[in-house]
Amino acid sequence: MIKPVTDFAGRLNAKIILNSQFVVEKEGRYYLLKSELRSIARNGFFYAGLFLGKVKKHKFFPSFVLLKMLAETEANRIIVDDKAAWLFICGRDIFGKRITALHGSRRKGDYTLILNSFGECLGFGRIIGDIDAKTEVVVKNVSDVGDFLRREK
Amino acid sequence: MSGKEFFVNRYEQLGWEFQEPSPRQAIRINISNAKGKNLEQRLASRGVELETITFLKHGYWVLRSKVSVGATQEYLLGMYSIQEAAAQIPATLFTDPKGKLVLDACAAPGGKTVQLADLMANTGAIVALDVEKRRLAALSNHLERCRIGNTIVYNFDAKQTSGLGLKFDRILLDVPCSGNFVSDEKWFTRRTIKDVERNAKLQREILTETVKCLRERGEIIYSTCSLEPEENELNMDWATKNLNLRIEKMDFIGQEGLTNVFGQQLDDSVKLSRRLWPNETQGFFICKLTKRRNTV
Repeated sequence: MIKPVTDFAGRLNAKIILNSQFVVEKEGRYYLLKSELRSIARNGFFYAGLFLGKVKKHKFFPSFVLLKMLAETEANRIIVDDKAAWLFICGRDIFGKRITALHGSRRKGDYTLILNSFGECLGFGRIIGDIDAKTEVVVKNVSDVGDFLRREK
Repeated sequence: MSGKEFFVNRYEQLGWEFQEPSPRQAIRINISNAKGKNLEQRLASRGVELETITFLKHGYWVLRSKVSVGATQEYLLGMYSIQEAAAQIPATLFTDPKGKLVLDACAAPGGKTVQLADLMANTGAIVALDVEKRRLAALSNHLERCRIGNTIVYNFDAKQTSGLGLKFDRILLDVPCSGNFVSDEKWFTRRTIKDVERNAKLQREILTETVKCLRERGEIIYSTCSLEPEENELNMDWATKNLNLRIEKMDFIGQEGLTNVFGQQLDDSVKLSRRLWPNETQGFFICKLTKRRNTV
């Protein structure tokens, strides 16, 4: 039941412990329900508890709630400066010179969370270049919280 | 029976002199997400100037802003919501909602649902219903953005609430209404008295159904953004006489509810409700009701 979620966490070198009894899958969407909700949940709900993400065409798309949960673990992460944080939530990629700190993987192809200078998770990306290359795009934006605005359009 | 002259004449009969409103943009801090984050300072650094709304605990007027307050990192991280000031009042009127089972019967787009969850500190559970499926996406986005974990959403008609088989401690009835001219500049040309009467009937149907699902001594907060007494005081008068509900005293801004509407004398307790004529806020009506003991 929770494999897509834990597999995704693994791609960030993170471990997440979820009680599978409290995870509900509905039409490819995964929700974490606390006990009070579990006891009153009926079939056919539209949304419930904490949305963890969805599987579409065999691929898992994490929610921002899940990314925040993973940011509280040892997951791969990079911290970016204010300018890059703004550009990132506008859907842009990360240049090496905008990275102020890194934790975990530097390997090309790996996923990494993107955090602002306050340590808040803005989304995640895929490392595509040498992290130390200052003038190049080194992390490609995969998903960012600006998506909340884009969805409404 | 429609048009600006018709409705303005009605408002004058109810004691309000029409004036062009000057509504102000407002935000509400989501305490669960913003605690310890120096949010005011962070927004100030982005050029967002705020002023405390004196009648709200977590509300701020947006005086001016160099950026869209709906596109900052802090907004996207759920630290605050954009919510009209009067609309921030109803959820605050419940007695101790923490740990309770709460129904938000007409929930989309979810501003009050998120506020309730925040006031409940994500404890207990909220059942959020909306009959219009297309509006549920906005509600779900709002819940996800603000990381609300105590809410379950159904595409469900509030007029069938008893079908859920649940008894609620608190019920928020921010019912579908005719709205008002502050939030819709074409309101006077769009609305007729027939719309008002149709909405008033729908509101009574929702009230009748949801009361069946309210625990004894449970609370209902009824609110509309309509200025029309048919949807407000007249419905509350009807509810006290037909649904074994009692109107409770509330302590916040606004005028007493009307007890004489176009010559019709209403139950005196209706004055305990609150009516906000448009000014800094949009027009609004709020009433707190409790279910009397030992009733069917």
